[in-house]
Amino acid sequence: AVGLCPCRLLLLRRDGALRALRGCVRGLAAGPETHFGFQTVTEAERREKIYQVFESVAKKYDVMNDSMTLGIHRVWKDIFMHKMNPSPGTLLLDVAGGTGDIAFRFINYVRAVRERQLQQKLKRQQNLSWQEISESYREDKSKSLEDSQVVVCDINKEMLKVGKQKAQNLGYSEGLSWVLGNAEELPFDDDKFDVYTIAFGIRNVTRIDLALQEAYRVLKPGGRFLCLEFSHVSNPLLSRLYDLYSFQVIPVLGEVIAGDWKSYQYLVESIRRFPPQEELKAMIEDAGFFKVDYQNLNGGIVAIHSGFKL
Amino acid sequence: AAAGGLWRAGWRLWRGRAVVRWQLYPPQRVLQASATLRRASDEHRKEPFAATSQQQFDSHPADPQLEQEPQHSRPSYTGQGGQESEDYESEEQLQHRILTAALEFVPEHGWTAEAIAEGAKTLGLSVAAAGMFHSDGSDLILHFVSQCNTKLSELLEQEQKRVQLGETEKKPTDQFLRDAVEARLRMVIPYIEKWPQALSILLLPRNIPSSLSLLTSMIDDIWHYAGDQSTDFNWYTRRAVLTGIYNTTELVMMQDSSPDFEDTWRFLENRVADAMNMSDTANQVQSTGEAVVQGLMGAAVTIRNLTGLNQRR
Repeated sequence: AVGLCPCRLLLLRRDGALRALRGCVRGLAAGPETHFGFQTVTEAERREKIYQVFESVAKKYDVMNDSMTLGIHRVWKDIFMHKMNPSPGTLLLDVAGGTGDIAFRFINYVRAVRERQLQQKLKRQQNLSWQEISESYREDKSKSLEDSQVVVCDINKEMLKVGKQKAQNLGYSEGLSWVLGNAEELPFDDDKFDVYTIAFGIRNVTRIDLALQEAYRVLKPGGRFLCLEFSHVSNPLLSRLYDLYSFQVIPVLGEVIAGDWKSYQYLVESIRRFPPQEELKAMIEDAGFFKVDYQNLNGGIVAIHSGFKL
Repeated sequence: AAAGGLWRAGWRLWRGRAVVRWQLYPPQRVLQASATLRRASDEHRKEPFAATSQQQFDSHPADPQLEQEPQHSRPSYTGQGGQESEDYESEEQLQHRILTAALEFVPEHGWTAEAIAEGAKTLGLSVAAAGMFHSDGSDLILHFVSQCNTKLSELLEQEQKRVQLGETEKKPTDQFLRDAVEARLRMVIPYIEKWPQALSILLLPRNIPSSLSLLTSMIDDIWHYAGDQSTDFNWYTRRAVLTGIYNTTELVMMQDSSPDFEDTWRFLENRVADAMNMSDTANQVQSTGEAVVQGLMGAAVTIRNLTGLNQRR
């Protein structure tokens, strides 16, 4: 539990814990029917179940991610970051970002861009004295991450705890903040963020439309919404292999590595229940985003949706 | 005298070859663009070009500007149902505004997504709006090029109006071409430090279709206003020649350090003069070729006669 390597569990993100607890108190008469994997439950039940799922897998989240996807999730997240292509000075909100994968990648990317900019600036100034050169290095070190910030928001305390621990171990300290919050009801003001990301989290949101509306609200004009999520595979051969792998291998891995068959059964079932690419694109457009587009990775196993608040 | 004539013809032939070779094999950097243009013009059997030339002549009275814009950005000025953005402008219009605003940051940041991000910031948008465009900066360059082309056609049209109204004299073709190419190249001068970067980005395979179509439409425009009404193969030769002149002059401008680019304009003058002489040279080459062929035929007949093969037995 202590040695948390920077691996990722692309497992479930859960949102709506507060509502779930409230739902419990109120009793069983809680909300319309929805799905939890292949079961049918009420909304309140779903939120509670998802909270419990993540509470139990939080510590093994990263390890399971690596073993289930054979490490490919790192490539997906790298591609995701390249697509975002953040410039220094960007304010990022990473929702359902529990263990901090996207946040750490963002910090690395922005630092690299800053360094490149600095190098180009120095190249242009060929005739500096040693004094000036040392000064420029000094001032830029302090500015290395000054204006870029990332806020990691998650509904699950356990996931946030794991994330904070990882940040400490890896040495990320500045430009990073951790907030407990529900994607359907974000604790932020309007028009605050440049980029809103939700990686492998929107599947676990009970009311996706509310989450999208919140995303629209907290983004600045011109801001970008990015969503990385498992999606629909159209190729029939690939689809069969993928189904085989999902239903036969993943729950077994879950039992062996994390001691939790049910959570991983939920995982693969929830992927099947999630809307396909075009449907999600339509939902994002309904929330008010423009230039909505998606990019399939690995034939549709994972898709990146992108939209702009214009 | 005959020998002198033959020698002179041979000299012209050699010089003609040199000129033609120079025209056909411009320096390495633009080889791709002009070569693809030539291949395109040869292979496509005149079909699409005939269509374009028809469009040119038909739409000229209407609005040559419409030719330029749709090449790259296809702005849609009609509101589309369910697509209101701020102030009822369409996405394309907003993208235009962002790119136009980004141009002033190009001298500092180059033709990159960073310049676009700075441009978006000046409009009050988030820097993430630069994600709407491709990350290599090609959208910015294509936008700039199409803007320049539009400005050029406006200039040419105004001049044509002035000629029609009798305010100015009609220029001879070589002067007209020189002025048009010079005016177009001068638009690049504010960005000349970063222009080589732009040229290299335009030559990436992904961008070649769009940059090529912008280039060909501009050359078309210039010839149209120069009064070209040819309907035979000359149409292609003229455009190919002018494309070669334009590309090479642009390259010369990149490494020209003379005051106000005098060397470049002198280079341009020489190339246009060469092009004007080229048609004469081509005719001379052809007639010399014919003469040579006839001479060979005559020699063959003579030899046959001498060896008695022509005798009918």
